[in-house]
Amino acid sequence: MIHTDMFAAPTVSSSQAIHDSAQINRSASDTHTKQIANVQLTDVRFSYDHGRSWALDGISFDIHRGEYICILGANGSGKSTLGRILAGFVSPDAGQVDLMGQTVFSGTHADEQAYRQARHHIGMVFQNPEDQIVTTVVQDDVAFGVENLGVPHDHIATRVHQALEQVDMLDFALADPSRLSGGQQQRVAIAGALAMHPGMLVLDEPVAMLDDAGRQEVSGIIQRLRDEKTTIINITHMFEDARTADRLIVLDHGTLAYDGRPNAFLNSPELLKAHGLEDIREQELGAQPLSMASDTKNTHEKRKQALAIDHVTFTFSDAHKPALSDVSFSANQGEIIAIVGRNGSGKSTLARLICALAKPQQGSIEVNGINAYGARGHRGRRLRKSLRACVGYVMQHPERQLFADTVEADVAYGPHNLGCSDDQTRQRVDETLEFLGIAAYAERSPFALSGGQQRLAAIAGVIASEPTVLVLDEPTAGLDAHARSRMYTLIAQLKAQGTTIIMTTHSHDEAELLSDKVALLHHGSLLAFGEPKDVLPLYDEITDRALNLHAHSDKRQQGFNPSDRSPIAKKSSWIHLLDPRVKMVSALVMMFTAFAIHSLWQLAWAAVVVCGIVGMSRLGIRHVLQTVKILLAMLVVMGVLNLLVTRSGTVLFQWGIVMVTDAGIMSAVLYTCRFALVVMLGAVVMQTTTPTEMTDSMESLLSPLKRWGFHVQELALVMSLALRFIPTLTREARQIIDAQAARGGSVETGSPIERVKALASIVVPVFAGALRHADNVSLALDARCYEGGSGRTHFRMLKTHKKDYCFLAGSVFYIALLFAIPAIF
Amino acid sequence: MSMPTHSVDPHSTKNDGEGRWSTRRIAIYALFVALAIVASFIEFPIFPAAPYLKYDPSGIVSLIAGFAFGPMAAVLVSILSWIPHMFADPLGSIMAIVVALGLSVPASLLYRRFHSRIGALYGILLGAGCALIVALLGNLVVTPLYANISVEQVIAMILPILLPFNLLKLAIHGVVTFIIYKPISMLVKR
Repeated sequence: MIHTDMFAAPTVSSSQAIHDSAQINRSASDTHTKQIANVQLTDVRFSYDHGRSWALDGISFDIHRGEYICILGANGSGKSTLGRILAGFVSPDAGQVDLMGQTVFSGTHADEQAYRQARHHIGMVFQNPEDQIVTTVVQDDVAFGVENLGVPHDHIATRVHQALEQVDMLDFALADPSRLSGGQQQRVAIAGALAMHPGMLVLDEPVAMLDDAGRQEVSGIIQRLRDEKTTIINITHMFEDARTADRLIVLDHGTLAYDGRPNAFLNSPELLKAHGLEDIREQELGAQPLSMASDTKNTHEKRKQALAIDHVTFTFSDAHKPALSDVSFSANQGEIIAIVGRNGSGKSTLARLICALAKPQQGSIEVNGINAYGARGHRGRRLRKSLRACVGYVMQHPERQLFADTVEADVAYGPHNLGCSDDQTRQRVDETLEFLGIAAYAERSPFALSGGQQRLAAIAGVIASEPTVLVLDEPTAGLDAHARSRMYTLIAQLKAQGTTIIMTTHSHDEAELLSDKVALLHHGSLLAFGEPKDVLPLYDEITDRALNLHAHSDKRQQGFNPSDRSPIAKKSSWIHLLDPRVKMVSALVMMFTAFAIHSLWQLAWAAVVVCGIVGMSRLGIRHVLQTVKILLAMLVVMGVLNLLVTRSGTVLFQWGIVMVTDAGIMSAVLYTCRFALVVMLGAVVMQTTTPTEMTDSMESLLSPLKRWGFHVQELALVMSLALRFIPTLTREARQIIDAQAARGGSVETGSPIERVKALASIVVPVFAGALRHADNVSLALDARCYEGGSGRTHFRMLKTHKKDYCFLAGSVFYIALLFAIPAIF
Repeated sequence: MSMPTHSVDPHSTKNDGEGRWSTRRIAIYALFVALAIVASFIEFPIFPAAPYLKYDPSGIVSLIAGFAFGPMAAVLVSILSWIPHMFADPLGSIMAIVVALGLSVPASLLYRRFHSRIGALYGILLGAGCALIVALLGNLVVTPLYANISVEQVIAMILPILLPFNLLKLAIHGVVTFIIYKPISMLVKR
């Protein structure tokens, strides 16, 4: 490994730095004659608009084996495009690209075969951790890329084990990735790339979407991966990461601005400023909001109370421990309150409660003197409606709630729901767009705007209702430095207008910069509430403690509870261990044939067998019945229907046209019970079979169709990805439903047109989210070299054992007897 | 809009022309199936006379998938989204698949020929017609398996219960799809 201090040279003037460092590099490569170039770019140009403008213009450099390179650049500098060229995802418009010893692009020709071979040796990790994980079990996900490379089955497990060890995630091999923290998910994604044994790893802003703790976790892992064999290219905006690189490459408006030792660039304020990379933190702290925060303190007594939270406890219906317990604090009008805490401390839950999107089990919340749950029924609804008029809720990533054809229509949704007249609504929309500086986009589709503009448009949709209390959930999450400082100014402006602001954040700096008071949450309890200077040191203590715990490899404790492990870990019974193909097919046949049950003898036989299967599954009959609780209502309806429609047999009871006969009772029992057996059998299969087992079986059972050109493996992958994203989409849909409800949208009430509009305000953003995930997932599949089903090997193998044949034989016997019973009796 | 695989990308480094599904195509199918599964679990009664017949919005996802990405997407989303229900209510799932196919496949075929707002409207109407017929025929087969009633009795239920429920359900599907398709097509084109 080449250490940075090898290049320790006397101070160089900033203008000379580029030239000098390039020379040092060249001389270094001369002395290391064995150095192998992983990347050679020669005069590379790239355009997104057929040459009208250049995202990259004349980029040339080499990257050698074992180097650790950081790429810095302001937004729009072309660094992500460069990352994709380096990873072989896209070809440029001009120049020459050599990757992993192959000329993949020259002049105008992209050599697809060479690209494919090169990609097999390049790993890529993206920004969004969640969208890179393609299965429902961590170790299967790490194996996915290895399978695509066609590595023999016997070697896959070793590779998966090693890769998970490299990122310190071995303890989570069987976990469900959707329950991991962002930092952990990103480590799994890195393991997925490492298991493919890449010669070069390209990381595209791997820590950009993580909180401080996650960022340190992942940066630490990246440092550990540095060795002589693996080249690492880290595209980042973190100066701390860039400082540790062997070489720093800086892009500015598509051109190479710097290529050399990191410190010579990072220690030069002039160079940083010249390329739009001035130290952002200083700029933020110097901004005006700070002065805005202090002036309230004098006028403190005059202000009236805007928010009073009184001994609030809230527990989610599916949880044992409360998400918030006994939280009390209050806020005066015009104050900014920052709610700080680590992930999972209850910040977002508290934000939702303040907006009356959920009801606390104990305690009360008053906003402007309104307790939204202070009355029941009709009066309660009226209270909540008046609350909606004075509280605005900006959810995390509010741009995800945009839905209308135009920005102005979207912004008008809230005021319109509150009952503003058309003129009034128009006026509010115009004023709000003007205030946020996006009036020029009023008639554009919100989806055609840039990320920062989208967030402003979404916030406009909330503040157009002129709330006096505004709740912001992580308002700067995922924003770059410039958009972030724009947001700070906006918050200060709103405060100046007298709006009370409650914002959640995990950033110490943000809370210090903006807030008058800080509420510190930890595991759902309010640890402290008061002036930032008193509370924030406590927050730092908590964060540091968590990080130290992690550093001392006490990761077992880190937010991971063994019961979170995937069901495979608990797999025990005979039924669990059956070949899923045998289990699923037998069960389906038994379920369909149950509809042929027409006598009590048949019913008894089926009941014996189904109860036997439930018993063998060791799930417990009560547990099975509990899982089918929702279907019980349907069973009751069916029973009653059967009871009443049957007119034959002896009349036992008659009341008007309602008539109950013995035959009616008989058919009610028969039809209800046989359906109950069907449902129980299905529940056992669902409870004893993992999603991966189901998709594996589907692939295996459908594989004969391959002969006719069916994309069987692709189909199984579609299904597996779909199951993986159900929790994600469900969570996002809930957030959107909340956010639109806070703007007064309601599917349950109003005219049909209003209801359809309310539905559209939920459905459109949900589709937008699905498409956004799809874009990321397709890149993640490319990064793992997915090239269709052929040539893939399998990490998991389905094997049939003796017990499977026994079960199959048993099923056949059951069905044979079921159909023989009418002949016997 | 065309199938995502047909778009010509000057920066492509892959050859997807070998009868393979592109990764984008796989990802889009997967996310639409996931969405349809999530939607299929949001059930609620819409017709007071028959509370056991429930509305779920998954048909909207099938329709949108067919419009945006062609009949193949409609077929896949319609079938795969009901697989998880197969073990809870096998007959109901098969019915749901057949009705979803009847709705989304004709609609997407027509829309592919007549690529306009009017085409979409007629597509939805044609699909709704097919789905209605399929739903009624399916009920003739399935309802006698749930309850001890004859096919004649089911036929007697068509006018008062089955027809109005299905009309209402398909009307909601159609109206919502027609309204939300424009903003979604903006997203797909991006």
